[in-house]
Amino acid sequence: MTRHCVRRRLLVLALFPALALLAPVLARNRPADAPLAHQLLTPVPFDPDATDLAARLRPPDGTHLLGTDDLGRDVLSRLLHGARVSVLVGLAAAALAFAAGTLLGAAAGTLGPGVDRAVLVLTGVVQAFPALVLVAAGAALVPPSRFTAALLIALTAWPEAARLVRAEALRLAASPYVEAAWAAGASPGRVVLRHVLPGAVAPALATLPYVVGGAVLLEASLSFLGLGVPPPTASWGRALADARESLTSAWWCVVPPAAALFLLVLAARKAGEALTESR
Amino acid sequence: MTRFLARRALGAVGTLFGVLVAVFLLLSAAPGDPARLAAGGLPGRRPASEEALRAFRAVHGLDRPVAARLGAWLGSAARLDLGRSFRDGRKVTERIGETLPATLSVNGVALLLAALAGVPLGIAAARRPGGRADRFSGLLLDALYSLPSFALGLLLLLLFAVKLRWVPVFADPSAGPAGLALPALTLALVALAPIARVVRESVRTALRSPSAIAGRARGESPREETLRALRRSVPAFAGLLASLVPQLVAGSVLVERVFAVPGTGQLLADSVFARDLPTVLGLTLASGVAVVLATLLADALAAFADPRLVDVEEG
Repeated sequence: MTRHCVRRRLLVLALFPALALLAPVLARNRPADAPLAHQLLTPVPFDPDATDLAARLRPPDGTHLLGTDDLGRDVLSRLLHGARVSVLVGLAAAALAFAAGTLLGAAAGTLGPGVDRAVLVLTGVVQAFPALVLVAAGAALVPPSRFTAALLIALTAWPEAARLVRAEALRLAASPYVEAAWAAGASPGRVVLRHVLPGAVAPALATLPYVVGGAVLLEASLSFLGLGVPPPTASWGRALADARESLTSAWWCVVPPAAALFLLVLAARKAGEALTESR
Repeated sequence: MTRFLARRALGAVGTLFGVLVAVFLLLSAAPGDPARLAAGGLPGRRPASEEALRAFRAVHGLDRPVAARLGAWLGSAARLDLGRSFRDGRKVTERIGETLPATLSVNGVALLLAALAGVPLGIAAARRPGGRADRFSGLLLDALYSLPSFALGLLLLLLFAVKLRWVPVFADPSAGPAGLALPALTLALVALAPIARVVRESVRTALRSPSAIAGRARGESPREETLRALRRSVPAFAGLLASLVPQLVAGSVLVERVFAVPGTGQLLADSVFARDLPTVLGLTLASGVAVVLATLLADALAAFADPRLVDVEEG
């Protein structure tokens, strides 16, 4: 896998958060939010949450490029704004999981068998549950929002990064320069953060795109079950749950969010594959 | 061997204990008053009176201190008593038992279908790396890994129920094979990807091993060669079995929602929605126990198939 190929695949993956960030520019936001001139210039002139019962379940045409859903909302506008939930929650969850996993993994590998055993037990317990079940159970306990969704997903996704970093950290902890740091009187926190972590993080970093893909899937599953970000906020998982109700008459409500999820997860997988193979 | 298995079993018991405590901590760490949540958690319901809340707490033991509740919970969980549902006051185990047959039959059919398709596909891909079967399975696996199970289910519904009209849109799975077909097919496709991938990788490795080369030199037929490779891959298959359990559990939750199967996954989603904590935690616990037991079973199977694994660990 060439360096060029790795960069290309990472760029493709980066398209999705870019699209999510640009959603308010591409599709009209709430009318009150922006000046009128800006509202008129958006390529998709429909508010994602604006219902129009006269235009329910319209098939794709010149006005509504991807049709409308069962409340007459523009599918394309909801797809673009839904990316803000699906992509950004997925990214935030992956970042949180990565931070927690690398820290715990580096600490486990560096600070001796006591900490190591504690972290291993913790990973064993977390990995004993199917991630979706754990996240759903958590959703029963805390009120759903973007933040809690990201936090719950991160809570189930950190063990893999911890395992990878721990293996590297165990190797580094025995190396002379780390011993020298201990001898020079460095604090445990400093040894873990400054001396072990930077050298141990690479394998976990290479699998980060996989974690992003997994987090996006979990968020979409949660939203599909109706346990994610509450309505009327658009998200791809919720769009699919809504589309199920009007399945017999409106295929255009199912295909766009399904395709968006598919492409995002595929891009994440391909980027992860390129990164892990190029190492 | 016995010592190896005993140690693994002990480890599993330790993890199970951790699982029990984790589930209990989830229960008691819930922000807010569970009684109030359960009694007034749904919009549109009248808030419960103080008296009703007190009675609710007494029935579910919520008025006792946390340590006493932990002890009672561990004791009753060991006796397979998961408490009573906040929703209708029936035993959680009873509610789970009612939904289990539907889920297990869908999963059983799905696993059978996935194995029937995945094993030959994996073998074909492994026999000729870079060949047609290998490239086809690579594309298929990429697609199956990237499409969420519920999106796949909806697309299958769209194709087979709406366009082709081969099956009714929302059939009752208990009514017969017509209703079972699409949920089982969806879950089968979910399980197909990991099965085909593990079979391909382990068979390919086994075919490259010195013993396989020696066999070829002795003039073994391709058939014998493949059978030997499969036999050598049993430890990998055992690991696969353990990793399929959590995937199928999560898949069941989503697929049952798509097809309105009255199964255990649907019960979990409904209970989360209704804030029925005992049922949610009972199901969480059950899924954790299923995964731990499957892992233990896989370890034992792998150790019987390849005793060298035991030696490495004792070593």
